[in-house]
Parts: sequence; structure tokens; C-alpha cells
Amino acid sequence: MKIPALRHLILTILPIALVACGGATKSAPTANAPGSVEDKKVSLFCWSEYIPQSIIDDFSKETGINVSVENYSSNEEMLSKLLAGGGKYDLIQPSEYTVEALVKDGQLLPLSPAALSNLSNIAPEFRSMSFDPGNKFSVPFMAGFVGICVNTDKVKTPIQGFRDIFTPEHKGRIVIVDDAREIVSWAFGESKIEINDITTENLAKIKPLLKKWLPFVKVYDSDSPKTSLKNGDVDLGVVWSGEAARLYDENKKFTFLLPQEGAHLFVDNMAIPKNATHPQNAHLFINYLLRAEISKRISDAFPYYNPNAAARKLLSPEQLANPASYPPAQDITRMQTFRDIGQQSAAVDELVTQIKAGGK
Amino acid sequence: MTDFASFGRRILFRLPDGPKLVRWFCGSWTALVLAFLYLPIVLLVLFSFNQSKSGFVWEGFTTKWYVDLFHNRVLLQAFGNSLLIGLISTIFATMLGTLGAWLLYRYRFRAHRLMEACIFVPMIMPEILMGVSLLVLFVMFSLPLSYFTVVIAHVTFTFPFVLIGMQARLQGMDPSLEEAALDLGATPQQAFFKVILPYLVPAIASGALLAFSLSLDDYIVTVFVTGAESQTLPLKVYGMVRVGLNPQLNALSALGIILTMILVFASERLKQPTPGETP
Amino acid sequence: MAGANWLNRGGRDLGSHRAGWKAWLLLGPLLLWLGLFVLLPTLLLVLTSFSQRDELGRVVYSFTLENYTRCFDPIWLSIFWNSILYAVIATVICVLVGYPAAYAIGRASPANRRILLTLVMIPFWTSFLIRTYAWISILSQEGLVNSLLLSSHILPAPLSMMYTPFAIVLGLVYNYLPFMILPIYTSVEKLDNSLIEAAYDLGAGPLRAFSSVIIPLTKPGIAAGALLVFVPAIAMYAITTLMGGGSNPTIGEVIQNQFTRARNQPFGAALGVLLMLLFLVCFLILGRKTNSDDRST
Repeated sequence: MKIPALRHLILTILPIALVACGGATKSAPTANAPGSVEDKKVSLFCWSEYIPQSIIDDFSKETGINVSVENYSSNEEMLSKLLAGGGKYDLIQPSEYTVEALVKDGQLLPLSPAALSNLSNIAPEFRSMSFDPGNKFSVPFMAGFVGICVNTDKVKTPIQGFRDIFTPEHKGRIVIVDDAREIVSWAFGESKIEINDITTENLAKIKPLLKKWLPFVKVYDSDSPKTSLKNGDVDLGVVWSGEAARLYDENKKFTFLLPQEGAHLFVDNMAIPKNATHPQNAHLFINYLLRAEISKRISDAFPYYNPNAAARKLLSPEQLANPASYPPAQDITRMQTFRDIGQQSAAVDELVTQIKAGGK
Repeated sequence: MTDFASFGRRILFRLPDGPKLVRWFCGSWTALVLAFLYLPIVLLVLFSFNQSKSGFVWEGFTTKWYVDLFHNRVLLQAFGNSLLIGLISTIFATMLGTLGAWLLYRYRFRAHRLMEACIFVPMIMPEILMGVSLLVLFVMFSLPLSYFTVVIAHVTFTFPFVLIGMQARLQGMDPSLEEAALDLGATPQQAFFKVILPYLVPAIASGALLAFSLSLDDYIVTVFVTGAESQTLPLKVYGMVRVGLNPQLNALSALGIILTMILVFASERLKQPTPGETP
Repeated sequence: MAGANWLNRGGRDLGSHRAGWKAWLLLGPLLLWLGLFVLLPTLLLVLTSFSQRDELGRVVYSFTLENYTRCFDPIWLSIFWNSILYAVIATVICVLVGYPAAYAIGRASPANRRILLTLVMIPFWTSFLIRTYAWISILSQEGLVNSLLLSSHILPAPLSMMYTPFAIVLGLVYNYLPFMILPIYTSVEKLDNSLIEAAYDLGAGPLRAFSSVIIPLTKPGIAAGALLVFVPAIAMYAITTLMGGGSNPTIGEVIQNQFTRARNQPFGAALGVLLMLLFLVCFLILGRKTNSDDRST
């Protein structure tokens, strides 16, 4: 894509690069032609700690396919590595807005439905979602929400939405995920603006609200927001549902609810990059993960919302009763997902950083 | 009276290592500093034997995390990778840093200042910038991401630390040290290996220690330049922390620390009988 | 002291040798490394900082100055100032805490020296994140310190230590202390005993001996240590977010965000380039100053 142009540029500027590059210019690996037999390998590029190692081992045992795993911890980390073309990946796990962006850019290989017999296990509301109609390029893996987690030992006032959290009474007692897009979407919800309608005017409109809200926040933490809640440093949180589910499992005093202003759904998916060298094995792996009993094991390890309806039937009553994993069903069908906002993400980030830094 | 005072001072304070007061103060201060450094470590070791899976509330003694750890192939492999990459890049970084510091000290080069400025660059460059630009570079050179690229990256961000420590040591070196060797008929090479290098040993040791710990701890640069087989421990740890601190990690840290301590003290014990070394 | 002149940077202005081809040959590996893995990536970065980006966040190499004009927004400047402040505080505390320890280690017997040095480093062979989470468990409301203070009835209510500037400084000092101790140790280790003895013989008290003999002689070590602490501390972001709660963004965090959530690599690169330029200018000025200082002695 941009790399050849860049190489050209560098070559003209720097003779050193010329020498070093000279020996190693042509090495584009030849992809397996469709229908041919692939070697017994597949390389995954997935979120760290999202697929239990035992499942990967069992897949290898069953199919004889050697799985190599590389991890990332944000969609953008994955994007920059994938787009730079450094590694050859057969399977990636992009979130919904990243799937949309990748599809738009022609970076994904169309899936062959014939090889994904277990796709029918996915609940109807998670099939053919707006970011990938017809599941042409991606299959849902896990889903979740951002919602409100309350330490009911410490907070006695009823909390129903963002406007109950961000109050002077709770100043210095709040943790929120450190994600500008998320934070902005809450203010959009409160201001009755559609969450994907990110325009300069709308951002300006919610700025005063964020200026009011953010000074009440004590901790911004995307990686492990449950830590500060658990340690008692804060009493309220706007956190990932999976984190809240774990807290609830440990101690029932941590309750979870979806904010009344409206919540949105995030969906992590499985997809195959267009230059994958083992697409058939990748299909096998996706289909394997779609099996009800395998998907159930993922749920055991990571208490997010499982879009696999067949797997959900196998879960224990306690797992299903966890309000953070499985909030009331009618809520979910109403929920929207994030659309890709491309270059606007810089504006969103700047707005939030600005308020954080000046919010003193 | 004054005579008596100065006499007393001579008696009390004429010790080769400075007055007792300074010694006593520095010694106990060091003990405090070590206590500060080891406070979280002691906690880690303690809680690697804790039954509670989550966090730091004591729920009873267990060794199950160690058993789990030995069955966690992925974590052990990442640990092995980290050690391997750390050792190899430390060796290269130390050689590069030592030689570079000496040459830049000893000789006057064209573009001397430019070179010195370049050496600072990897220290100043925010890690993510280095990670991304090295990734682009490796792709440009068609280098597959692997151990090789990780080692290159680690050497790049560790060797300036070695070099700068070395320069501090060289700055106060008595130049007659080398001249004497040369006067006595040594070649510059012999002078370097027989006189300069031994003089630099403390700086080499501390530089290597720094480089090794920097390499062991790096997350951001590594994540951009690593391939699937060369995943290091921090990459795994980062993921595990996201789902909650795993006591297996405490167990791994505890094992690492205890093993290193045993190694260090054993090697000192073995050295002890040498009579030439005066304490 | 005849050696005083030699204390300046490398002494190359006085008696240093002009580099012959052999010296250049020996310098080869370093030059190659600097060229390939330092200079070239830096140029790439500079190139990126003048570029634009597409919807996916890929860099598009067409010239613009926009990234630089954006850098001078007061917001980024105040964040920058904030980061410098934390780095300065951490460096000063590291010198104060680290010096006596480094001195003691440097004056110990050779065997003890090795042991003490390794003891200082061992904690840093565990992962940064694990160490930091251990600190969180020490400082938090239900953590070690608070439970000790509460159960012994020293305090009526828990102290709020986590997610404060105190926690940030503690985290920085903890993680960078060895970077201060090691270089100071290497310059203490080579201190000539006779010089210190001479100071005492001339009637200097311990403080006087320290300030007029020992400190000046170990100045290169302090300078190197300060450099090794201050420079990485500015761009550091993980400690400030984990220990400080992230409500006061640092420049390192802002740059990091450009490469992740904001998908604005060119702007991140521009901020990085400016940061690096600032450092280089500081180095050049400082280098010049110490050179002339030393020459005047």
C-alpha cells in the first residue's frame, strides 16, 4: 500500500538504505492457491488473554494443526502491525468498528459459509450486524457493554445513570475506562445525540457537560478498572461489563447496571486478513471456536456476553444470573454498536485530553 | 582545648573510608533503600503462597500456584524468551556501549558531537515512536519479525544506557594509566585489554545490569517488533493483568528472584577462598 | 590537582588523539548501528511528522505542517510542563535517596560491593506491571499500609495515597532509583582514598569533606544518573496512569494515544520530534557549559 512508496522515498534520500535494502527486496510469500492443501499451521493474532490456552491445545490435538499465537492489547496496535505487513496472520480479532474500517479498505478475506457450519450457533441478533451485513467477513466472538458498577456498601443513594454518578457528592470516588470514544458517547447519550453522529458541532455541544463531569473522576483505567474498585480507592465505576462481572463473582456488593441514558454494545469478532497464508486452517479454527461446548469454555474464563446462543444454553444458572454478563435481554436488542469514525477519532481524543488536563 | 579537639578528631575520624559517622549514616541509609526496594518484592513472594486467587488478602498457605506455573507452557516459554533475548541483547549492548564510550573518549572523530547526539536519541525517543518506526524499518528491509528483530530493538534502546554510565567512569580516569602502559612497551591493544578494560569493569557490570533489566521489562517496543514465537514475558503479563493479577505471576517472580539470589551468593561463596582479594 | 584538566568531557580537547583509520574501523559497528537503527528510524519519524494520515490511521506521505502548528496549542504545552515537573521532582529525590546508598556500596569491600549491586538490581528483574500492582496493593485504601495504621489505631480513617501526585512520584522514584545508583556507584568506586584522607588531614569535617571533595569528584556520576532518570521519566506514561489514575495526562501518554485511540501517528511523531529536539538542545547547552566550567578550574 503505502510501503512501496515510502521505500522509494527513502531509497532516494539515503544511500545506506539502498545498500541494506538491495539484498532483500523481493520476498512476497506465495499464498496457497484456493483448494490446495495447506501445511498444518495457522497463526493467530488475537487479544491477549481472550482464548484460553487449553482450547488452542485441544484444537491442535484434534486437527494436528500447529497454532502460533501473537497478542495485542488494542485494535490500533493490531491495525498498525497488520497494515505494516510485518507478520503474516491467518486470523485476527477486530472489534466491530475495526471490522467496518478493514472491510471498507478491502483488508479482509471473504469467509466461505460452507466451512462455517457452526455459524448457526450464533444468536440471531448477533448475525448480520450493521458493521458486517451477512457476516461476509467476520464472525462474532464475544460481546459486552460499558456500564455502571457500584459498591453498594459505600454508596447508598440509588444510581440509575450517568447523571447520578457524576455529581459533586461522588467527587474523587469514581473510576472510568480511559477511552475517549466511550467517554464522549456517554455525554452523547445524556444529550440525546446519536452515539455515532460524531461531528465538530456535536462535540462542541457536549463539551460543557464533560467539563462538568470529568473533574469528579479520580481514576482513568482501561486495562483493569476493577482494581481500584476492589481496593476501595473508589466506590463507583463506569467499566467494561466483563470486569464488573468478575467483581460481582468475587463479592456481591458490586452491582452492575446499564445506564438509563442508553448503553451500546461492543462485539469482538474473528476475521481473516486478505494476505493470510492458511485461510482454510483459519476457517477450521473459527468453526472450532463456534462449537457450543468450546464457546462455553471461553465464557467460563471470560465472563463477557456470549453471542453464541448454543453455548449460552450450557452455562450454569449462576453464570447467567450475573447481571454484568447477561443484563435483561430486551436491553440488548435496543443497543447500538460503534461505527468507524476514521479521522474524527483524533478530535474526540483531543477533546477529552483537553478537559482532563485543564479540568483542574 | 582546641588541640585536644583536633586530636580527638584525628583519632575518631582517621579511617581510610571516611569518618565513622558518614559510614554509619550511609550504611543504614542503604539498608533503608534496600528495604524500600524490596517491600513490594517481599509481598509478591509472600502472596505467591496465598490461596486467594485475587489480590492481596491472606486466605491460607498453598503451593498450587507453583504447580500451575510448571504446567503453564506458554508462560514458561515467554519467560525463557525474555531471558534469552535479555542475555543476548545485554551482551551486544555492553560490547557496543563499552567500545563506543572508549573510542569516543580516546579519539577525536569527525562529526563527534553528531555521533554523541545520536547516541542520546534512543533514550529520548518515546518508546512507542521507537517501536513503530523500527517496525516500519524492518518491513522496509523485509526482515521477518522474530527473535532477531526483537534483539536488534532491545540492543538499540539499551546500549545508550551502558555507554553513558561508561562515560561517567571514563571522565575521571587518570590518563597516565594508559600512558604508563604504553611507556612500558605495551601496544595500544594490550593497553586497552590489560589496563583500561579492568579499570572499566565496575562500569561494565553496572551497565550490563541496567541493560538486562531494561530488556526484561520492555513491553511497548517489543510488541511492535516481535513475531509469534518470540513473545516475551511482559507481553503475557500485560494480557494477564487485564483479566486480574494471576498468582502464577507472583510465583514466577518469586522463583526468579530467589534463583537469582542463590546464584549471586553461591558465586560469591565460590570466590571467597581466593587469598589475593582483600576485603 | 594536576588531574583537574582531565576531568572535562573526555579530555579530548586537550590530549585526545586524532582518530586514524583503525579507530574508525573499530567504531564501525557503532556507526552502523547508529545509522541503521537510530538515524534511519529517526528520519522516518521526522518524515512521518510532516505527513498526513488516512481513515485507517495509515501514514500518507504528503507534506503538511499542520502537525507542528497543532503542537503549540497551550493544552499540549501545559501537559508538557506537567511532565517536566514530575521528572524533575523524581530526579531530585532519586539523587537525594540514591547518593548515600551508592556511596556506601562504592566504599564497601569488593565482594560486598558485587552483592549489594546485584541486590539493588534484582527487584527490577520482575515485570514492571507486577511490581506496580504490588505497590498498588500496598498503598490502596484497603492495602497494607492502611490496614496496619488502622488496626494499630494510629489513624481513625484510611489515608488516601493511591491516585495522587504522591503515588506518581513514589512510582517514578522506585522505578528509576537504580538508574541513579549505578552510575554514582561507578564514580564513587574509583574515588582515591588518599584524597579524602587528605581532606580530613587538613581539618575538614565529614560534611566539608563531602561537599568540597567527594561530591565534586563524583559529579560525572551524578550527572549521568540524573540524565538516565530525567530523560526516560519525561516520556514515561505507564506509572503516571497506573499510580496517578491518569487524570493528569503526561506528554508520554498523549503521544501514546496518538498511536492508539486517536489514530494520528503524524501528530504523535511531531510531538515526539519536538520532545527530542528540546532534549538535544539541552544536552548541547549543558555539554558546552560543563566543558567550560571544567576548563576554568
